[in-house]
Amino acid sequence: MRPSTRLRHMLKEPGIIVAPGAYDGFSARLIEAAGFRCVYMTGAGTAASHLGQPDLGLATLTEMANHAGHLASCVSLPVIADADTGYGNVLNVVRTVREYERAGVAGLHMEDQVAPKKCGHIAGKQVIPTQEFCDKIRAASEYRTDSDFVIIARTDARAVTSLDDAIERGNRAAEAGADVIFVEAPQTEDEIQRIAREVRAPLLANMVPGGKTPAVKIPELERIGFKIVIFPAVCMAAAVPAMERALTTLKETGTDWHDGPVLSPMDIFRRVGFDWWHAIEEKFAPRS
Amino acid sequence: MRATSKLRELLGTGKTLFVPGCYNALSAKILETVGFPAVYMTGYGTSVSLLGLPDAGLATMTEMHLNARYIANAVSVPVIADSDNGYGNAIGVIRTVREYIQTGVAGIHLEDQAIPKRCGHVAGRRVIPIEEAVGKYRAADAVRRELDPDFVLIARTDARGAHGGSLDDAIRRANAYLEAGADLAFVEGPTSVDEVRRICKEVQGPIFYNQTGISPRFTLDEMNELGIAVTILPGATFRATIQAVYDLAKELRERGPVAEADFNERFKAHPLGNVHTFAGFDQVREWEEEYLPAEEMDKYTDSVGHQPAKS
Repeated sequence: MRPSTRLRHMLKEPGIIVAPGAYDGFSARLIEAAGFRCVYMTGAGTAASHLGQPDLGLATLTEMANHAGHLASCVSLPVIADADTGYGNVLNVVRTVREYERAGVAGLHMEDQVAPKKCGHIAGKQVIPTQEFCDKIRAASEYRTDSDFVIIARTDARAVTSLDDAIERGNRAAEAGADVIFVEAPQTEDEIQRIAREVRAPLLANMVPGGKTPAVKIPELERIGFKIVIFPAVCMAAAVPAMERALTTLKETGTDWHDGPVLSPMDIFRRVGFDWWHAIEEKFAPRS
Repeated sequence: MRATSKLRELLGTGKTLFVPGCYNALSAKILETVGFPAVYMTGYGTSVSLLGLPDAGLATMTEMHLNARYIANAVSVPVIADSDNGYGNAIGVIRTVREYIQTGVAGIHLEDQAIPKRCGHVAGRRVIPIEEAVGKYRAADAVRRELDPDFVLIARTDARGAHGGSLDDAIRRANAYLEAGADLAFVEGPTSVDEVRRICKEVQGPIFYNQTGISPRFTLDEMNELGIAVTILPGATFRATIQAVYDLAKELRERGPVAEADFNERFKAHPLGNVHTFAGFDQVREWEEEYLPAEEMDKYTDSVGHQPAKS
């Protein structure tokens, strides 16, 4: 079954879809191993891990789609990928949808920020007019080649204009053909409740510790009525301090040997599919 | 010598540097073989040849700079590459200039069109405010100063033919961009000889002239007289390829496979008719003789096919 079809089924089934954020193949593998049923590709994490740059609209469509393809090919779960603004006007949006489809992801989200975009939780965002945004969503929805491919419309209007405008944009985008609506960065629990009540479409919630949105647990989000929740930063936020600690220790002690549990090279390879590849090797090994 | 320094040297002769356009490594190699001292990578041709898409801002920075890299690797003459509007604001320009410098091209032109851009000879262009554009050229200048001061920065303005634009506005912008740090000014799309004269007189710096589309054609002598520093013919090899491929395809379709045999007969007499030699197989054999064990060369004996020349 195509990943897009699988994600469609999951959207129809009861229950919230939990998609932790992967920033590279390793984190995507770990998400699958932990038993989650969906992977989210974070754009901020892609820019940071792939390019070593902040989320300021520097990553190109080519880089983002290639990265999405890497994630989609190393896990068997559907991947929802960040597609920023669609990298231009409606023409670029059509190209973006097709490149992401070919990358093998199940769906993407596309936002109404002015290009070049900024991280949703950073000041200085600007949004395009609602009609222009709806045209982009309509182009995405009409020109996908796989009718199961999931288009998620994200509005950044809450931080720029108002929550009312963001809710209005969400409803307009749903009418324009978006399958799921993502109102970025509500600032209180009341705002989260209002989005759930007033946007007439399946909803995506974005949980970023240290961002503008208060933390709400998965069961509560499900109860309020959200259909998907993404945790874009969960892997990267854990990895960065761990790497910093390890590097400090290396500098201070002159070795990376330590007394705690050791991750051998094979422990690492196992986490990225060694046994699966090894079985193939065995199967086709020349018989002596 | 670095390609950037080589281009600087060519620009220092005081004569018009005539640079035809290539759209991939192959066309660049042909231009080099014929003896051109520099080549130009067209964005239009890159978009159409690499992606099969029109020059409407659909090619990404990654695709454009990869093509530039392939071209720069294929030839030893300096390459001037199209970098559109720098793929973003001044911040995007910083990354773009860094990436292009790493490709090994000798210079780029960067324009003041709004995103998404389109071909400078197709209607419907829009330009960004001059202040914003100046910021982009200042950013580009700072990056190349840091990484390679010889990297040539050509500022292109599309204000002459953009919505609400004029030649006056374009000349004003060209001067502001030169002041912001650009080495050459490229006023896109003048429509008459008089307009080109005005540009050469009123722009206070070296002129980069795009001899294509809606703009008048000049001889090299005329351009030397006008004081044009560089002229590009971006589409010439690209159009010639379209024609040649189409004509052959049509003949194959109509006459069947025999048309290929006839074509090959004619092609044998062509200066580049020995494709294996042009592709560089002699060089490969030379390297093999130099660096591989001698017995490895036995593979050429009794092996059927084109025999690369021994060094």
